[in-house]
Amino acid sequence: MASIATSSVFFPVSSSLKQNQVSNLKMVSLSFTGKNFRSLRLQPSRFRVACAAKPETVEKVCEIVRKQLALPADSAVTGESKFASLGADSLDTVEIVMGLEEEFGISVEEESAQTITTVQEAADMIENLKAKKA
Amino acid sequence: MALKLSFTPHKMPSFPDARIRSHRVFMASTIHSPSMEVGKVKKPFTPPRETHVQVTHSLAPEKREIFNSLNNWAEENILVLLKDVEKSWQPSDFLPEPASEGFDEQVMELRKRCKEIPDDYFVVLVGDMITEEALPTYQTMLNTLDGVRDETGASLTPWAIWTRAWTAEENRHGDLLNKYLYLSGRVDMKQIEKTIQYLIGSGMDPRTENNPYLGFIYTSFQERATFISHGNTARLAKEHGDLKLAQICGIIAADEKRHETAYTKIVEKLFEIDPDGTVLALADMMRKKISMPAHLMYDGQDDNLFENFSSVAQRLGVYTAKDYADILEFLVGRWDVEKLTGLSGEGRKAQDYICGLPPRIRRLEERAQSKVKQASSAPFSWIFGRQIKL
Repeated sequence: MASIATSSVFFPVSSSLKQNQVSNLKMVSLSFTGKNFRSLRLQPSRFRVACAAKPETVEKVCEIVRKQLALPADSAVTGESKFASLGADSLDTVEIVMGLEEEFGISVEEESAQTITTVQEAADMIENLKAKKA
Repeated sequence: MALKLSFTPHKMPSFPDARIRSHRVFMASTIHSPSMEVGKVKKPFTPPRETHVQVTHSLAPEKREIFNSLNNWAEENILVLLKDVEKSWQPSDFLPEPASEGFDEQVMELRKRCKEIPDDYFVVLVGDMITEEALPTYQTMLNTLDGVRDETGASLTPWAIWTRAWTAEENRHGDLLNKYLYLSGRVDMKQIEKTIQYLIGSGMDPRTENNPYLGFIYTSFQERATFISHGNTARLAKEHGDLKLAQICGIIAADEKRHETAYTKIVEKLFEIDPDGTVLALADMMRKKISMPAHLMYDGQDDNLFENFSSVAQRLGVYTAKDYADILEFLVGRWDVEKLTGLSGEGRKAQDYICGLPPRIRRLEERAQSKVKQASSAPFSWIFGRQIKL
């Protein structure tokens, strides 16, 4: 589990939410003090909160995306970057996901692959899948 | 990762909703980045429609001249690939003879042979037959092309003569398959006929934009695809013991081969005259992906009809994602795309894209094949609602 600072953090919500919820609630910003999770206004039965993806994971995804799209090393690719805006067509996206599978030793299901449109979403999915494997 | 890229065109192809199946990546072409989406979400129980923006007249007007200047060349090189009607086969050559004493017996034998052929084969054969029967759409499509269209319906330009004669040759394919399926007793003709009526009503936009460069590249690809597909149904018919049906599929495949020769010859000439324009056109069509002519098929019941039909065709090896890659690779070789010189910067990028594409497609397909697939099946109204493994 990533360490959580006592300040506002962005909790990406996992893909176990229904599709329309994900599209509305991609980032849930929470602030809390202390270590009492019950102060969070989340209903554990409906949400499974995933930790924010490690920066290294996000960076690795950026690297894979850059490589797939033949972008220079200094090009602006961040968590928010949308694949389509970077010039990825549908074939590129499929190959990016394949690259992520290889790099992280995970297997991506169709339903999860469907929801990925940005680097951050890819990184979060990777963390989820790795956590499930553990 | 069982990636499914389903281009079910009637669904809103927004990025997150796209279902990805590798063999379908290359079967239809309506996936777009969100900025290209048009059309509303499909109402249930209505035929699908194209969801991409329909672009028109993308050929620069001055390039239409090229086709005028090729009139003599077309007469000498393309029209010669047509067959004289007097020497052409007709459906009657392959069907029981109604005017003969032996008709009843011939029909009985036909039905006996067909009893041995499994349902899933018939699903694929029916899908192929429906595709052939939507011929009005294809003649229309050829007549949308600038510079080569039949302006009056009886125009005497070699291009117009070709289009009409090509249509006439193709017309026999649907007729023959229709009569065979009718006599076989194995399929629900009414459902099939309904599907044909819907399909002709739906038409198709192969995204050739009235542009003969795009149009002839598209037809080159398609003719080879149908040649491969009918060749496979012929082989399978033989395996199931129906030699007559094998002959039928074979004779249709032979026509397609001859048509493929004609269209690839035209594109070869375009590469000679305008290599840059043609290579850009080829890259454009491949990026948009070659959509199958019957991708809007609908039978009044199944919103995923084309996808389901394609799955079965893939499973039986009649037409697969590997075939798609093979066809592209063949065309790249046939047109010597690798050896093109004198290209612009954009042209070189297009050349690289095209030459690199077949291995990417193959890799995708290999990965998908190596994933464990969930067994699923679907009912097909064409065979009275019986379930077929996808």
